[in-house]
Amino acid sequence: MNATAGKLLRPGGPDERRAAVLAWMVVIQALCALFFIGDVVFDLYAGDGQAPGHLWLEGFVALVLVFGLGVLIVELRQLLARMERVTASLMAARGEMAEVIEAFFSDWGLTPAERDVALMILKGFDNESIAGIRGRAVGTIRAQSAAIYGKAGVDGRTQLLSLFMEELLAEPE
Amino acid sequence: MSMNSGGRPGARKYRVWDPLVRITHWGVALGVLLNAALTDPEGTLHEQVGYVVLGLVVLRLLWCIVGPRMARFAAFPPSPAAALAHVRDMLGGDRAVHLSHNPLGALMAYNLWLTLLVLSITGIMMGTVAFFGVEWVEEVHEAAYGWLMVSVALHVGGVLFDQWRTGVPLVRAMIDGRKAVARDRPVK
Repeated sequence: MNATAGKLLRPGGPDERRAAVLAWMVVIQALCALFFIGDVVFDLYAGDGQAPGHLWLEGFVALVLVFGLGVLIVELRQLLARMERVTASLMAARGEMAEVIEAFFSDWGLTPAERDVALMILKGFDNESIAGIRGRAVGTIRAQSAAIYGKAGVDGRTQLLSLFMEELLAEPE
Repeated sequence: MSMNSGGRPGARKYRVWDPLVRITHWGVALGVLLNAALTDPEGTLHEQVGYVVLGLVVLRLLWCIVGPRMARFAAFPPSPAAALAHVRDMLGGDRAVHLSHNPLGALMAYNLWLTLLVLSITGIMMGTVAFFGVEWVEEVHEAAYGWLMVSVALHVGGVLFDQWRTGVPLVRAMIDGRKAVARDRPVK
């Protein structure tokens, strides 16, 4: 039943990989910055007569490192926030989709058994698999799907699906 | 109507730990393991590992301010009162699952961070001219080390206990970032 669900946000998706790369960059660059700044501070205290230009250069490099780190952190933060938003709206859409389906089923007056079968048809199972899952004969499922199509006023699986797609893709009034 | 969203049957998955949280967590764990068991306490490798651990902890603390919701201080404020309430809830058979740290786990996180900071700072002090060979600094470093070992044991024990109590595979959550929560359990 999970074969078709959650493809968009599966682990290892492109967003997730990008976030992982960014996080590694942040960690490694933070450690580099720490090392480099520590080195500059050490030089400053040791003060073994290096040219002042050298210190300025090192200070500048340290500044650039820290600035780059800041940019990476902001970038990662925004990416994670976007992933969170997508998850939230997908959850909301799923909830509303469930309500839409429920409304149609009630409207057609499906029996509880027909509801289960209709839901599995929507999820893309064929009659044989539905029979296997529900522990009924294929003939029973065939009869139930015929009843569902009749009540919904469609002539088959594809039209049943397109009823819901139409509802999703319709222009808002 | 069951709209399963993947994973174990009957479990909802929540993305809770972002990659930065996971990398710093396992980085610190590795650093502690190295410095506790493998490196020579007098050697430079011990010092360098210590600096890396300090850097990771500071980065994680920064992330507690600018990071996403679950990683922030606000998601798990240090509160002994909340921890006590959590213990009462557990004894009362409350089945709710916390998405971020539970209040007891939050106290442990703060305890571990503070202990690591004390360890790093006294460690750095021991390497400076001003504090080299000063006895109390070494004693604090030793004491913090002892406390860290106790804390790590409690931390691991706590994780295993909570995993058993709530059925949420917590170690896995720190690896792939997702908590799988059984459908019949409310989340906080």
